Amino acid sequence: MKQFRSRMAASIFLAAVMTLVGCSGGGGGSGTTDPGGSTAAPGGQTSEGSSGGSQGGGEQVTVSMHSWRVEDTEGYSKLIQAFEAENPGIKIDFKPFKATEYNTILNTALQSDSGPDILQLRPYAPGISLAAAGYLEPLDNLSGIDQFPKDVLAAATGKDGKVYGVPLSLNSTQFYYNKKIFEDNGLKEPKSWDELIAISKTLKEKGITPISFGAKEGWLLSLSHGVIAPGTYNGNPFVEKLVKGEVDLTSPEFLKSIERMKELVPYFPENYVGLELNDMRTLFATGKAAMFINGSFELEGIQKLNPDLQLDFFPMPTEDGKAVLTTWVDGSYAVNAKAKHKAEALKFLEFMTTQKFGELFANEFKRISAVPGVKTTDPLVNKMAELSQSSSTPYIMVVHFAEGNPTTKQTLENALQGMYLDKMTPEQVVQEVQKSAASWFEPFKK
Amino acid sequence: MANIGVPKRQTITPKGRFRWIVHLFPLPALVIYAMFVVYPIFSAFTYSLYEWNGIKQGVFVGLKNFLTLFSVEPFNTMFWNAFGHNVIYFLVEMIVQNGIAFALAFFIYRKLRGSGFLKVAYFMPRLLSVIVVGFLWKLILNPNYGALNTLLTNLGLGSWAKPWLGDPDTALLAIILVNCWFGIGFAMLIFLAGLQSIPEELIEAARLDGAKGISMLVKIILPLCMPAITIMTIFTFIQAFEAFELVYAMQGSMGEPFRSTDTLAVYFYRLAFSSAGGGDVAIGLGSALAVVLFAIVASVSALSLYLMRKREVQH
Repeated sequence: MKQFRSRMAASIFLAAVMTLVGCSGGGGGSGTTDPGGSTAAPGGQTSEGSSGGSQGGGEQVTVSMHSWRVEDTEGYSKLIQAFEAENPGIKIDFKPFKATEYNTILNTALQSDSGPDILQLRPYAPGISLAAAGYLEPLDNLSGIDQFPKDVLAAATGKDGKVYGVPLSLNSTQFYYNKKIFEDNGLKEPKSWDELIAISKTLKEKGITPISFGAKEGWLLSLSHGVIAPGTYNGNPFVEKLVKGEVDLTSPEFLKSIERMKELVPYFPENYVGLELNDMRTLFATGKAAMFINGSFELEGIQKLNPDLQLDFFPMPTEDGKAVLTTWVDGSYAVNAKAKHKAEALKFLEFMTTQKFGELFANEFKRISAVPGVKTTDPLVNKMAELSQSSSTPYIMVVHFAEGNPTTKQTLENALQGMYLDKMTPEQVVQEVQKSAASWFEPFKK
Repeated sequence: MANIGVPKRQTITPKGRFRWIVHLFPLPALVIYAMFVVYPIFSAFTYSLYEWNGIKQGVFVGLKNFLTLFSVEPFNTMFWNAFGHNVIYFLVEMIVQNGIAFALAFFIYRKLRGSGFLKVAYFMPRLLSVIVVGFLWKLILNPNYGALNTLLTNLGLGSWAKPWLGDPDTALLAIILVNCWFGIGFAMLIFLAGLQSIPEELIEAARLDGAKGISMLVKIILPLCMPAITIMTIFTFIQAFEAFELVYAMQGSMGEPFRSTDTLAVYFYRLAFSSAGGGDVAIGLGSALAVVLFAIVASVSALSLYLMRKREVQH
C-alpha cells in the first residue's frame, strides 16, 4: 500500500507541474526567438530549404512563400506553374500552414530572421502591424499596384501611407437563396427589408424554413450582422462618419441593425441556437431552407454539397431603395523586408497584379479576384465581382473594429449570442459594443 | 536488497572507478525535463511580469498584468466566470464520474460474472483521443439530427429534445458529463487497485466481527480505500482545473454560447493565442493567468494531499 501511495504522490506532483507546462509551453514557444518550441520549427525548416535551393542551383533561384491556405495547395501549384513557365530560373516553394497557427509561425519566423521571401498577409489591423514592426517591404513602386482601388489597398496600407501588400481576393457576404423554392412559391428577390420579411412569412406558412441560420458559432453572427447592418444605415456615408467619430455605435441606425437581427428569429430553423455552419449549409444545400446568409468563400462548398442546387444571391436592400454588397479584402501577399531573393519575390508579386493571374485565380478557386475587371466562368462569381465594384460597403467589424482584447468584433459576437439567448436586449448589445470600441478606437475617445 | 539466490557474477552493480557513471544515466531525461518543464515554468513567470506588444517583449511592469487580470473589465468578469465553471466541473466530476466509478470498481472487485469483460468495456472510451470523443458527442448532441434528440423524439419525449450544446443552461453540463463518460474507466481502475490492495485478512476479520453489506462498505472498505480516493480526488481536481481539450473540441475557443462553457484554460488560450479571432495576442496577461492557474492547482493539490493523508488509515 505504501508503495502504491508514494508512486501516486510522485505522479500527482508531475501532473501538477504539467499544468503550467501545458500552458506556458506554447506561450514560451511563440514568444522566444530561439527555436525551442515546436512552433518555431517550420520557420527554421523553410529558411534552410530556400537557402539550399539558391546555393545549389547557381542560375535557379528558389523563392519561399508562406500561406494559411492549406486547402488551396493544389490550386496554387497551377498558378505557380504559370509563373514559372514565364520566368525560367525562378522556382516558387509554396508552403501553407494551418490557418489558426499561421500567425504564430509567421511571427516567430520573422522575429528570428528566418521568414519566407513572400508571405500571405492578414487583412487590416493584424497585417498592418507587421508593416509597422518593419518586417515588410513597401510596394508603392511595384508595377501594376496602382490599378487597385484605394479601399482595396487599405487592407495592407501601413499607418505611414505606404502599400505593403498585393491584394489577392475580395470576400463578399450576402443572402444566398434557392431559386427553385423562390420560383415555386412565386417569390422574387426582395427590394426592401419589408419585402424580405414578407417573403420569409410566406415561406414559413408553406412549411419551408425561410433562413438557414445558427447562433452557435459567434463569427457567423457578426458576419450576418455585416450583411444586414448596411441595409439600415444605407452603406458607406454612415461608415465614413463612424470612422471619423462623428457618430458612434449607439446611433439609432446601428441599434436598428441589431434589432433587425432579432426580428428575423421567427424565420430561423428549429433549435437554431445550437446550429453550426455545417448544419446551416446542409439545410440550405438540401433545399430544406430557402435562404442562407454567408460569404463568397462558401460558394464552392454549397455547390459541392449539391451541384444541382439552383443557387443565386441578392445584395442587401437599403432604406433608400438601393442595394449594397458587403465586401472586404481577404488577405494580400507581401515581401519580407529581409527576403533572401527580393528581386525574384517582387517579380512574383508583379505577376499577381496581372489579368492573367486574376483570371487563373478566380477560375481555380471560384473567388473574386482583387484584380479589377477579371471575368470568370462562374456567373455568380462574376455577379459578386461586378457588385463589389459598383456598390460595395465594408464589413465594418473586420475592416475597422477587429482590435482590442477581446476585439470589438468578438464582443459583438458574444453579445449577439446573448441576445439570441434572451440574456441581453438590443440596447445592451449596442452599449457593450460601444464600450469595447471606445476602449481603443481613437475617433471614439474624443 | 536481497542478494540471496542471485549468483554473484550476474550482479549489475558497476564496480570500481566506473561506479560514478551510473549517475549520468538520468541525464538525458533531466535535460528534457529541464527544457520542457522547468524552463517554461520560469519563462512563463517572467513573461507575466513584462508588458507585451503583440509578440514583442516590452518593458518590465511588475505585477501590472496580474492586477489587470483581477481588476479590469472584462478580464475580471471573464476570470471569475471561467473559475466558477472549473469549480462546477470539479464538483460534477467528483459526484458523477468518481461516484459511478467507485460503484463499478466495487462490483468488479466483488467478482461479479463478466467482470473482466466489463473492466475492459468501461475503460474503452479512454482509448479514444479526446478530440475524437468531442466530435463524436457533438454529433450525438446535434440539435436537429443528433442521435440523442432523435431517440428522445422517437420515445415520444420530443419536448425534452434541446439544443444541448447551444443552450447556456445545458452546454457546460453536457461537456462535463461527456468528460465523465470518458474518464470513468481510469477512475475505476484506480479505485479497483485501491480495493485490491486491501489485505484479505482485514476483510475476513471484519466479517467475523459481524460486518456485512453497507456497514462493511462504509466502515471497513471505504476507510481502507482512502489512499485511492485521495489520489483520485486530486487527479480530478487537476483535471477539472485544466479542462481544455474537450471544451475546445466541442465549443471552440470562445467559450460559446455566451461564455457559458468558458474555463480558465480556454480563457488562457484565448488571451495568449487569440489569433483565431483576429485580435491582439496578450502574452503578458496570458502568462499571468497561467501562473495563477498553476498556483491554484499546485497549492490546492498539495494542501488537500496533506490534509487527506492525515485521515488515511494505515495498514
